[in-house]
Amino acid sequence: MQPHLKRVFMLLVIAIIGFVFVRSLIVPDSFGEYGWYRANSVNDIRNFPVKHAGSASCGDESCHAAIYSIWKDSGHKTVNCETCHGASGEHANNIRILPTPANDSRDFCGLCHFKRVARPENFPQIDPEIHGENLQCTYCHNPHKPWFV
Amino acid sequence: MNVSRREFTKIGCRIIIGAAAGSAVIESIVAKGTASQDPPGDYDWNAHYWGYVIDTRKCIGCGRCAKACKLENNVPFDEPVYRTWVERYRVLKGEDVKIDSPNGSIDGFDDDIPAEEVKKAFYVPKICNHCDTPPCVQVCPVGATYETKDGVVLVDYDYCIGCRYCIQGCPYGARYFNTERKTADKCTWCYHRITRGLLPACVQACPVGARVFGDLKDPESAVNKILDKERINVLKPDLGTKPKVYYVGLDREVK
Ligand code: HEC
Ligand code: HEC
Ligand code: HEC
Repeated sequence: MQPHLKRVFMLLVIAIIGFVFVRSLIVPDSFGEYGWYRANSVNDIRNFPVKHAGSASCGDESCHAAIYSIWKDSGHKTVNCETCHGASGEHANNIRILPTPANDSRDFCGLCHFKRVARPENFPQIDPEIHGENLQCTYCHNPHKPWFV
Repeated sequence: MNVSRREFTKIGCRIIIGAAAGSAVIESIVAKGTASQDPPGDYDWNAHYWGYVIDTRKCIGCGRCAKACKLENNVPFDEPVYRTWVERYRVLKGEDVKIDSPNGSIDGFDDDIPAEEVKKAFYVPKICNHCDTPPCVQVCPVGATYETKDGVVLVDYDYCIGCRYCIQGCPYGARYFNTERKTADKCTWCYHRITRGLLPACVQACPVGARVFGDLKDPESAVNKILDKERINVLKPDLGTKPKVYYVGLDREVK
């Protein structure tokens, strides 16, 4: 083989090795394992912390069993504890961390119950001007069993 | 030149074959290609294919879904960005249509138009559609967003370069820019919850069952029970994005 062809050949080989090397540095671990993305990122996202514990975890025997059993048969059984009380996963894991107190204002109940045109008609709604004499709703309704005080 | 044509072709072929073989060998040494394996843990993503149903006839517009979503996923409350939100549609007597979503519905809705002027009104919850042919994934220049085997479109927060093409590319406006991470961000259907057997935060927070989540591969799942029975539609079906969020009672005004 002529020397000048050898040189070209060597250059080509170096270029290819360089490319493969640089590529291996730049392309992150696990890229392309499942598709054109970093497979590890799936597990990164799976490992995010869970913030809402779910109503069932509140009703544990040694915790809020009483409130839970009342709530379970009430008109509010479709309203999860954390829908009113806010995310309480930390509290469920460690009872020393108290969840923020539930909002017991009229406006909070009103998010669901004030009369609004766009709401389905069969949903129980009240006119805030005339219902409940401007008292707190919890004065007459138990939020965990809204029908009886 | 004193190289014959024959000689020249020979050398050329050798170079090409050598280069191809060489790079293949090096590639196989350098590549960290562990064989395809499922994520660890007891979750098998090949066994599921998630779907979502929204019954607009049930929604009361309380906005607890949008609130729960922000709490669960650390979405800033002081920025107008939402992974899920509720829109209010009001068709007025004069055929005008008013669409709004103040603070993504988190503070609820006030009736700022008197009821007498409204012909019909309803709420429409919105969320990422987790399209089967997602345009946002197509436009990503670095492969930082993708659809998982169980049908969820996710963002790789470490790899995203924050170019925002995907935010432009989404026809549903479901993506936003995360100013803290400096990446694109979006609904994950609470992937950290559903892969642990929990429901997405918004579904759990809904007091009226307007949001239903389940496995499309399981014929007995909550979503399939509705899909088998109700008349369903998706948003912007003409775009061919094949959304996996199905709507019951969708009005023609909804886009
Ligand atoms: C409709 C909203 C709502 C729901 C749903 C709800 N709560 Fe409450 N909860 C409140 C409010 C408001 C208060 C404030 C107490 C008051 O003023 O009577 C409260 C108070 C409490 C308290 C402290 C006061 C007490 O009575 O001991 C506990 C504990 C509690 N709730 C647990 C629960 C649990 C457990 C669930 C789910 C099974 C639940 N709540 C569901 C609204 C709610
Ligand atoms: C997140 C939404 C939500 C909030 C907040 C909420 N409720 Fe309810 N409430 C509901 C749902 C859902 C029902 C069941 C409606 C049905 O049966 O169709 C209900 C039912 C009721 C009922 C019984 C109505 C009936 O006809 O059975 C009363 C009374 C009531 N709620 C009062 C309250 C009070 C008082 C508060 C504030 C402490 C409150 N609600 C907060 C969603 C909510
Ligand atoms: C003074 C006591 C009192 C207060 C305060 C009060 N309520 Fe009531 N509420 C009642 C009584 C009594 C009824 C049943 C009779 C009726 O329908 O008016 C009732 C009924 C309801 C119903 C069922 C209506 C229906 O059509 O089925 C809802 C929902 C309700 N209340 C929500 C609220 C909310 C929300 C508040 C706070 C903004 C509130 N109430 C404050 C006494 C009260």
